[in-house]
Amino acid sequence: MKELFPRKQVMGFVFSLVLTIVALSVYFLNMSFAVGMTVLLVTAFIQAGLQLIVFMHAGESEDKGSIYINIFYGVIVALLTVFGTLLAMIWGY
Amino acid sequence: MKTDHTQPLEYSTEQNNLNILGFWIFLGAEIMLFGTLFASYFTLVDRTGGGPSGAEIFEITPVMFETFLLLTSSFTIGLGVHAMRLLNKKATLVFFGITLLLGLAFLGFEVFEFFTYVEEGAALQTSAFTSILLTTLGTHGAHVTFGLFWGIAIMMQIKQRGLTPETANKSFIFSLYWHFLDVVWIFIFSFVYLKGMM
Amino acid sequence: MDFFDRFAIPHPSPVIYAAMVAITLTVIAIVAGITYTKKWGYLWREWLTTVDHKRIGMMYLVSALLMLFRGGADAIMMRAQTALPENTLLDSQHYNEIFTTHGVVMIIFMAMAFIMALMNFVVPLQIGARDVAFPRLNALSFWLYFWGAMLFNISFVIGGSPDAGWTSYFPLAGNEFSQSVGTNYYMIAIQIAGLGTLITGINFIVTILKMRAPGMTLMKMPMFTWSALITNLIIAFAFPVLTVALAMGTMDRLFGTNFFTTTNGGMDMLWANLFWVWGHPEVYILILPAFGIYSEIIPTFARRNLYGYKSMVASIVLISVLSFVVWVHHFFTMGQGAMVNSIFSITTMAIAIPTGIKIFNWLFTLWKGKITITVPMLYSIGFIPIFTIGGVTGVMLGMSAADYQYHNTMFLVAHFHLVIIPGVVFAMLAGLTYWWPKMFGFMLNERIGKWAFWFISIGTCVAFFPMFISGLDGQARRMYTYSEATGFGIWNMLSFAGALMLAAGFVLIVYNIYYSTRYASRDISSDPWDARSLEWATHTPVPDYNFAITPQVDSSEAFWDSKKNGHTLYKGKYKEIHMPSNSGVPFIMSAIFFVFGFAMVFSIWILAIVALLGIFACLIHRSFEQDHGYHIPVEEIKETEETLGGAKQ
Repeated sequence: MKELFPRKQVMGFVFSLVLTIVALSVYFLNMSFAVGMTVLLVTAFIQAGLQLIVFMHAGESEDKGSIYINIFYGVIVALLTVFGTLLAMIWGY
Repeated sequence: MKTDHTQPLEYSTEQNNLNILGFWIFLGAEIMLFGTLFASYFTLVDRTGGGPSGAEIFEITPVMFETFLLLTSSFTIGLGVHAMRLLNKKATLVFFGITLLLGLAFLGFEVFEFFTYVEEGAALQTSAFTSILLTTLGTHGAHVTFGLFWGIAIMMQIKQRGLTPETANKSFIFSLYWHFLDVVWIFIFSFVYLKGMM
Repeated sequence: MDFFDRFAIPHPSPVIYAAMVAITLTVIAIVAGITYTKKWGYLWREWLTTVDHKRIGMMYLVSALLMLFRGGADAIMMRAQTALPENTLLDSQHYNEIFTTHGVVMIIFMAMAFIMALMNFVVPLQIGARDVAFPRLNALSFWLYFWGAMLFNISFVIGGSPDAGWTSYFPLAGNEFSQSVGTNYYMIAIQIAGLGTLITGINFIVTILKMRAPGMTLMKMPMFTWSALITNLIIAFAFPVLTVALAMGTMDRLFGTNFFTTTNGGMDMLWANLFWVWGHPEVYILILPAFGIYSEIIPTFARRNLYGYKSMVASIVLISVLSFVVWVHHFFTMGQGAMVNSIFSITTMAIAIPTGIKIFNWLFTLWKGKITITVPMLYSIGFIPIFTIGGVTGVMLGMSAADYQYHNTMFLVAHFHLVIIPGVVFAMLAGLTYWWPKMFGFMLNERIGKWAFWFISIGTCVAFFPMFISGLDGQARRMYTYSEATGFGIWNMLSFAGALMLAAGFVLIVYNIYYSTRYASRDISSDPWDARSLEWATHTPVPDYNFAITPQVDSSEAFWDSKKNGHTLYKGKYKEIHMPSNSGVPFIMSAIFFVFGFAMVFSIWILAIVALLGIFACLIHRSFEQDHGYHIPVEEIKETEETLGGAKQ
């Protein structure tokens, strides 16, 4: 039974639960918008990285360079799209 | 077909490696798909017209349940892939089964949530905000639903054919898909719900 | 009968009725012809079910040429209508439909298909691969494109064409102002074809990253393959944006959501924003393969290797990032602040830098080269000045303050045609002429080809240069007519003359294909241009398996080295070759997509659900199917190699 629950993945799961609880604190505790957004951004991106590396094994095969560049490019372009859209549609309007 | 026995089954043939890389690139495209939905969501979030705002309709309890269900399912499918690498067919099937059940429970909560929104006067057509909210959540939910059917098909194949390079490859790719949906949910949870309720 | 009313044309005219009759007769003639010659089995086995990248490339090519003539007919009608002031050849509604379909057909169904045709045929050969990474997905890509194009093209005889421009801006494209089903066709047909394009994008990235011949590192790839890699990368990341935008537009029109409406908080500008987040990278999706083609042709006919290979690679990589950060320049006048406009002005002008690097590299490749003027080379040389004029006027448009003067005028129309025609159309015609012998085993006639080049290049200048002037004088684009007092008449008449020259050029190209098919010599070598990259290192016609022995590469011009420096390309013995088997599923599944799309356009929900179930049935079939392809035995390879002109061992 024990070999079915590798330590790395169990720890990863516990850590992701902790991150979720930290994120939930923005709802249960009283904090300013800026602090709250910072907490959410930090926990969300760590959580995503955790899934990517611990659970999705992004770095295990010979193609890890291609995979990381692909994901990195996707994230950058997506962020440019989100913030560019906000800039053009809301902030700069 | 050439099989490389030094690698885990899912990487053991040339075609398998191509499939896995191809799926990663598809996930890159999915990042853009959800990125566009988020861009539209943030643009339209305050444009509630005559309808309710997020703060008025969001409730923390179902969202917490959904989050923990999906996080746990992401953990169990990780265990499923681990069991698959130990060539433990039975444990693989059990973990995949648990994953799909958790996914089903998630969908149950989401459907319940949608019905509540509509009852509270936040239907798809109410305002720009409700349109983009339900479309973003619905796109994620549709991915989960698609995943359920896909997962069942893969479990049936593992059951019939055992853990072969082919079925292992499909299972691994399915696990990538499922983890990715979890990542998307984390962003929905943080920047749709928690930001909206903060 | 109420049910059938929806299929009627809202604005019928004798031309459309004539087109209906013509389409019906053509379809009957084709079906009868195939039945009479008993070719159905051949068609199904060899073409409709094929997964061979070469045949898929050829099918893209035929579709692209057909669409070129569909879009070209629209263009001629537009120019004819505006040639004279207050002309009544077309009414305003018909004119709106024609400029809309002209744009969509030319960009999505002609230019995209043309680059897909050349990428499909050439890239696997250039990297020494047997096929693409996912041959069956490749077939699915083509058939989704094909059925998407068919869905779009039936709009003008069933239900009415879209009429809100190829950009389909809301609120004009919303239910309130576009009441016919035309815009539904736009949203759904492009969605289906776009799905196919996205799949191609993923397929080719994996192919290029993973299936290169041994020794071909990334920095030894031919430049066309490099440009294909970056193009497909942009496709994979830009097309999902279009998917989302079209889905939102469809929901607004069919389900009454409020994304782009003007009530209940909807934001019509968001459509323009999302459209151009996809639309600007799309421009580079079209232009980069063209750059790649010129980078193949110029070294071949200047007898020099490409100048500045590394800077060429760096500039296309830079373009791939910059192309995603300039989109706001398409709507500088929408009312966002000066700060936003300035930011996007700067990024826009920055993109001229990598493009300029490429232009200079081509010029330096020509410098001191032993230039032979062939048809592909003529197009490449003609491209440089015309494209530069189109590009420089783009930088003018990119300055946001000045753009308030140029925006939505014929100046803009002149700019983007002078970029796209030399950039894409010249490149495609050059590539077509260049790779034609590899595809079909004979060369296109040079003399007719040169006549066609002169008609097309002079026609382009005559058709579009006058628009710069009428545009600066204030002629808005998409106006179906104007008064004599405006003085636009002369310029528009000139444009019409240019359009006729262009049409003559394209007719010459078709004539050239006919003439060369009949009279050209079949006795040509596998390398008639004395070229440099691997696609010329295999036989003509290319056998199913492309290369009997996988070539060994150790420079960016492996084939040239094997000819001039004695480098051995083929080492080792024949081994049996694994091939993917044909499948009818991509064709059937895409045809069901067509039915699904048609049902959605007309809101026939039951049919839509049935079709959706059919699509899922195809997916499940694919999941459970066990298909490991087949092997070509060594004896058969030997036989094929001997009949094709001796093995190169």
